[in-house]
Amino acid sequence: MSDRAIIQRVLSGDVEAFARLVDRHYERCARIAVRIVGNREDAEEAIQDAFLRAFKALGAYEERELFSAWLTRILVNQCRSVLARTRRRDALFPDLDPLHVDFAIDATGMDGDWPELGRALAQLPVEQREAIVLKYADDLTYEEMAKVTGAGESALKMRVQRAFARLRAILQEVPSV
Amino acid sequence: MSDEFERLVATALRSPVGVDARSKALVMEQVRRAAAQGYPRRRFEPWSRFARHSIAGLAFAAGVGGISTLSAVLPAARADNGRGVSSVVLGDTVVGALHDTLRLVRLMFDAPAARHVAVAGDFLGSSSAAAAPLSREPDGRRWSITLALRDGEHRYAFVVDQTRWVPDPRAERLVRGDDGRVYSLLSVARAAN
Repeated sequence: MSDRAIIQRVLSGDVEAFARLVDRHYERCARIAVRIVGNREDAEEAIQDAFLRAFKALGAYEERELFSAWLTRILVNQCRSVLARTRRRDALFPDLDPLHVDFAIDATGMDGDWPELGRALAQLPVEQREAIVLKYADDLTYEEMAKVTGAGESALKMRVQRAFARLRAILQEVPSV
Repeated sequence: MSDEFERLVATALRSPVGVDARSKALVMEQVRRAAAQGYPRRRFEPWSRFARHSIAGLAFAAGVGGISTLSAVLPAARADNGRGVSSVVLGDTVVGALHDTLRLVRLMFDAPAARHVAVAGDFLGSSSAAAAPLSREPDGRRWSITLALRDGEHRYAFVVDQTRWVPDPRAERLVRGDDGRVYSLLSVARAAN
């Protein structure tokens, strides 16, 4: 059943049909959110908020847009909110280094194979991290990324290039890479 | 991608992160709570559709002719006695109590030259039902529809030939919506015995 057909069922009153959308898109959302916000705890909060907001606003969903793209846009906004809150928390507790908090390191999603990449991603400016994650974790085109982020395509290409350059510089300092 | 480093990064970013089933379950718990609060809110769809119609279409529809007797929900409808649906005809309106909060409301609209009449309202429960069509009465002049509505105020308007937006001029109150359109307000309430 297509996403659109499921949405019609939900709008007709079949609330449980929404679980199929959750099943279908949760892993993809997790891949994006964990890598943007940098830890699983905050990522799960962003994902749950995103699905809830999507459900509440389902009546306003425009069918000419893919549900996956619409959901991603909501998710990215939620990730930004989480990150803004984290920055406020860090301002209150300046001694707390998120790179040395266990959950932040363990939850990068690359902990098994390449933990240093997770740490390096956390050091990127948010807009660069967002761009490289959407480009490769979600395989979006630059046109799709522009719709999700609100940034221009040329700016996004530049962010991805700079993200790679920055990652390369950071990871060259890590002996295991 | 230009080199091996970028390929490795891309591959790592694409790798799955693992999903906790409990987290998915939490999403659905929140969704059920939201549903109990009336979400998802239905978008009042017809506006954007009608806004797309051309000036020519509006001009054509202007020839529909006199729209005289329209609907109104009269507040003094008699409630039923608990034995199921009953209806009370009050002027141009039929109000029947289905149960405490859901009532039958019949809307009528005189438009003999119209080819199609529909009602658009915030009571339409599905986004796919942008507007509910009225049926032409045997007399050829009048169009009507019977709706089951919850107690409360409802915004509505008639749409003639899919182009002409016509608030009910006989309604007691008209309101302007956020989209600039004028709506009739329909008050549905439990009748006094």
